[in-house]
Amino acid sequence: MTGITQTANALPPEDYYLRAERVTKIYSDGTVALKSVDLEVRPREILGLLGENGAGKTTLTKILSGLLPPTKGRVISPRGPVKFASPREALQFGIGMVHQHFALVGTFNALENVALSHSRPFARLQLANTRKRVEELMQESGLDVPLDVPVEKLAVGEQQRVEILKVLSRDVDLLILDEPTSVLTPLEVDELFSLLRGLRDKGKAIILITHKLKEVGSVTDRIVILRRGESVGDVKTAQVTPGQLARLMVGETVEPVGRKAIELTEEELPRHEASRHMQHSEGAGILHVQALTVRADTREAAVKDLSFDVHGGEIFGIAGVEGNGQSELVEALTGLRKATQGVATINGTNVIGKDPREIYRLGVAHVPEDRWRLGLVLPFTLAENAILGVQRWEEFRGPLSFLRWRKINQHVRELMDRFGIQATGPSAPAKSLSGGNQQKLIVGRELAKDPAIVIASQPTRGLDIGAAQYIRNLLLEMRDNGRAILLVSADLDEVLALSDRIAIMYEGRFMAVAKPGDFDREKIGLLMGGVTAKEEA
Amino acid sequence: MSARDRAPDLRWRALKRRTLTGLNPAFESLLAGLAGLLIGAIVMAIWKYNPWKAYAAMFSGAFGDTFGIASSLARATPLILTALTFSICVRAGMFNIGAEGQVYVGALAAACVGYFSLPPGLHLIVGLAFAVVAGGLWSLGPAILKVTRGVNEVISTIMFNWISHFLGFYLVANIMVDRIHSERTVSVPPSARFPLLVRGTDLSYALFAAIAFAVVIYFILWHTVTGYEVRAAGLNPTAARYGGINSRRTMLLAFILGGMGAGLAGASMVMGQPPTFAITSGMGEVVNLGFDGMAVAMVGRNHPIGILFAALFFGGLTAGARAMQMRAGVPLDMVLLVEGIIVVALAIPELARVFRILEHRMVRFLRRRSA
Repeated sequence: MTGITQTANALPPEDYYLRAERVTKIYSDGTVALKSVDLEVRPREILGLLGENGAGKTTLTKILSGLLPPTKGRVISPRGPVKFASPREALQFGIGMVHQHFALVGTFNALENVALSHSRPFARLQLANTRKRVEELMQESGLDVPLDVPVEKLAVGEQQRVEILKVLSRDVDLLILDEPTSVLTPLEVDELFSLLRGLRDKGKAIILITHKLKEVGSVTDRIVILRRGESVGDVKTAQVTPGQLARLMVGETVEPVGRKAIELTEEELPRHEASRHMQHSEGAGILHVQALTVRADTREAAVKDLSFDVHGGEIFGIAGVEGNGQSELVEALTGLRKATQGVATINGTNVIGKDPREIYRLGVAHVPEDRWRLGLVLPFTLAENAILGVQRWEEFRGPLSFLRWRKINQHVRELMDRFGIQATGPSAPAKSLSGGNQQKLIVGRELAKDPAIVIASQPTRGLDIGAAQYIRNLLLEMRDNGRAILLVSADLDEVLALSDRIAIMYEGRFMAVAKPGDFDREKIGLLMGGVTAKEEA
Repeated sequence: MSARDRAPDLRWRALKRRTLTGLNPAFESLLAGLAGLLIGAIVMAIWKYNPWKAYAAMFSGAFGDTFGIASSLARATPLILTALTFSICVRAGMFNIGAEGQVYVGALAAACVGYFSLPPGLHLIVGLAFAVVAGGLWSLGPAILKVTRGVNEVISTIMFNWISHFLGFYLVANIMVDRIHSERTVSVPPSARFPLLVRGTDLSYALFAAIAFAVVIYFILWHTVTGYEVRAAGLNPTAARYGGINSRRTMLLAFILGGMGAGLAGASMVMGQPPTFAITSGMGEVVNLGFDGMAVAMVGRNHPIGILFAALFFGGLTAGARAMQMRAGVPLDMVLLVEGIIVVALAIPELARVFRILEHRMVRFLRRRSA
C-alpha cells in the first residue's frame, strides 16, 4: 500500500493553489486531530478527501481555508499568506466552503440570499446588480436555480445549488464541499457531479469531503485518504480500486481492546423491578426487530425495512459511518422517535409507540449518543442526574412523591465507588465533571438498572483510552451476565473487538450481518462505503 | 474529533458557571446592589440632590421603625406570590407573563365572598380557595394553548392579561359594584379578612400565607419527583424526554401552580389590605403586581428563598420612596429613576443566566429548522 502514497506529485511546483506542509493539529483538550499531513490542492482538479468519522477531514479543510491555525506545519499559497480571521476573509482570498447544513434564510428567495451574503451590516441589498451577476454566473456554470421563489420552497438539491451559487458569486478559485451528497437524491447527485466537472474544466479547484466510495470514484481526479489524523494515501482515482480505498480508509491493524474483568458481580448490582423481566434462556431474542422503517427529521426514511434480533449474552454491534440511520434506529427503539412502520419487541412486548418510561420498565438501559443533549441535565447535580429515568422508582420516591435524598445520595456514592466516577460528591454539578466521568455516570446509572438489554450508542466517544476501555469492559461484563447488548459505534475497531455479531449499516439498511471473523477489513470498508460484493466484482 | 463533536462543548462552556461572575450568588447580588446604589448616587449628585440624605431617608423610611418595617412587609406580600408565579414557569422553561391578569382574576374571585356569609375563618378560607382556583383556571388558557398547539406563552399570556384587564374593569364597574360606594366593588366582610399583624399598619397575616406558599413551592421543586421533573424539563427538554418525563405535563403543572400563586396574591390584596377591602375602579390595588413580581423573581434568582428577600427589598424600596420624597426632597421621578437603576443592576446576573439558556435553546431550534 505504501507504493501509491507517493504517486501523484509530478507537477511543476508553481502549479498548485494551496499546499499544506507537515500540518499537525492538537486541540486544547489534547486531542490530536491531524498528524503531519501533507496535501496539495491544484486548479482544474477535483480532490476527494476520504475518511471515516473523526479521521480529521473537517479539521484539515478548516486549516486549508485558514480558519483554524495548525499547531505545527504551515499552509502556503503562491498568492500570499493563508491566514484568515473569518470565512469572509477566506472568501475574499478565493476559498469558499459549502457546509453540510445550509446557511440560508428560508423566507428569502435565492437572489436575496446571494445578495445577503455580499452585504455589509446596515448596507442596502444590491438586488439589481446581484441579479445580473447571478444570471451571468448561472449561464456560465450551467447551474440552474429559480431565483424568485423562497428557498424554503425549493428541493434540498436546489437549496444546495443556491449555497454553491452564493460561494461562486464571490469569484472563488477553491470550492470545498463537506459531504454534499448526504442530503441528495441519486438524480440530484448526478446533477451536482456534472456541475462540479464543469467548474473544474473552467479552472476551479474543488475539494469534496466524503465517505462514500462510489462517489469518490466517479467524480474525483485524485483522492487523499485520512485515517485517525494521518494521511495514509494520495492516489490518482484512475489508478485505484474501491477495495484498495476501503482498506486504506479503515486500516489493517486492530487497536487492542482489552477484556480485563472488573469487580462487578451479580450480587452487587441493585435489584430493581426490571430484573423480573430478565430471561436467561440461551438464544432467546430479547430484542426482536421486524421490518422497521423510521423517518429522519427531514421526513426522509432513515431506517428502511430493517429486521434483526439481539439475544441474551451477545453483543450485537452496528458499524457504519454516522448518519446512515443508526441514530434514528436507536431513537425508535427507545421511544424517542416514532417509527413509521414495523415492529420492535423486547421480551415479546412491542415497544413501538410506547414512551421511554414504559420502555425502561421492560428492562431497557439506554446509553445515548449525545451525553450533553440527551444523557445529562448539565446544570443538575450528580445526584439529580443519577436518577434521571429512574426518578419514579419506589427506592427513590417516598410518600407524596417526596424524593428520598438520603437514599439517592447513598445510591450515588455506590455508583461513584463501583464505576470510579471522580467527583467531589453527590452535590457536585454534572457540568463540573470531565467528559469521561460524565460518561461513567451515565453508563453506571444505566447499568445499575440491572437491565435485560443495554442499548449503547457511541458509548466511548471523545473519551481517553482508559475511560473508553473501562466502559467497554463493563459492556463485556454485562454480556457475560446474560444481558443483550446493542452497540452502535462509529469506531470500527470498537465494534470489531466487542461484538459477537456485526451489522454494517449504510443508508438505512444492513449491508451484511456476520461474525467479526467473517469479514476482512477491506470488505467492511467497502460495505461501509456502500459497495456490495456484487458491485465490486 | 470532528467539529461536530466539539461544538456542544463550546456552547456549554458559557453555561458552566453557576453565576455571572462565578461568585457566590448572595455575594454577587450584594455587589450588584452596591453598584446600583453607586450609580443611583452619581445620577442624584449630577442633578444636585444629596445622595447620602436621600438613601438615609429611604432606608429609615423602609426599615427605620415598626411602621416602616410593617409597611415594607405589606408591600412585599403580593410580590412574593407573583414572583413565584414567574419563577415556577422559568424553572419549567417558560416565560409566563400572565401573573398580572391572574392576579386580577384572583382578586375578583376573592371579592365574591362579599355576597354571602360564613363563620369567621371559614369565610376567609373559602375566599382564598376561590382566588386560588380562579387564578389556576385562568392560567389554563395559555397553558393549554402552549401544550396542545405550541402557542408561545409570552404572546398568549399578554393577550390573557388584556382579557382579564377589561373583564375586571367591566365587573368592577357594572356587576360587582357596591350600592353605596359606586367607585368600588362590594367589600370583603370582616369574617373573611386576614387579621392585622401590626395594629395601625396595613400588614396582615396574608404575609404568612405568602411565605407558606414560597416554602411549599420550594419543597415541591427541590424535594419531590414532580418538581424534579419540572426542573429537568426546564433545563434540558431533550434529556428530560430521554428520562421518561412528559414535558407537556410539567409545563401544565407549572402554569397551574403559578396561576394559583397569582390568584392568592390577588386575594391577599382584597382580603388583607385595609382600608377598603374591595377593588376600586381602575383596580389600583392590584395593577402592576404581576409585572413587578417578574422583577422580584429576577432579583431573587428565581429561587423561592431568594424571592422572599428580594420581595422584602422591593417592599422596602416602595415604602422608602415616600420618605425619600418627603424627608430628602427628591422628586418622585428621580426616586423612580434611582429605584429603577438599583433594580436593573440587581437583576442583571439572573437576566444574563436566563438569556444564556434561552439563546442556547434558540440556536439549537434554528439549527434543527435549517438541518
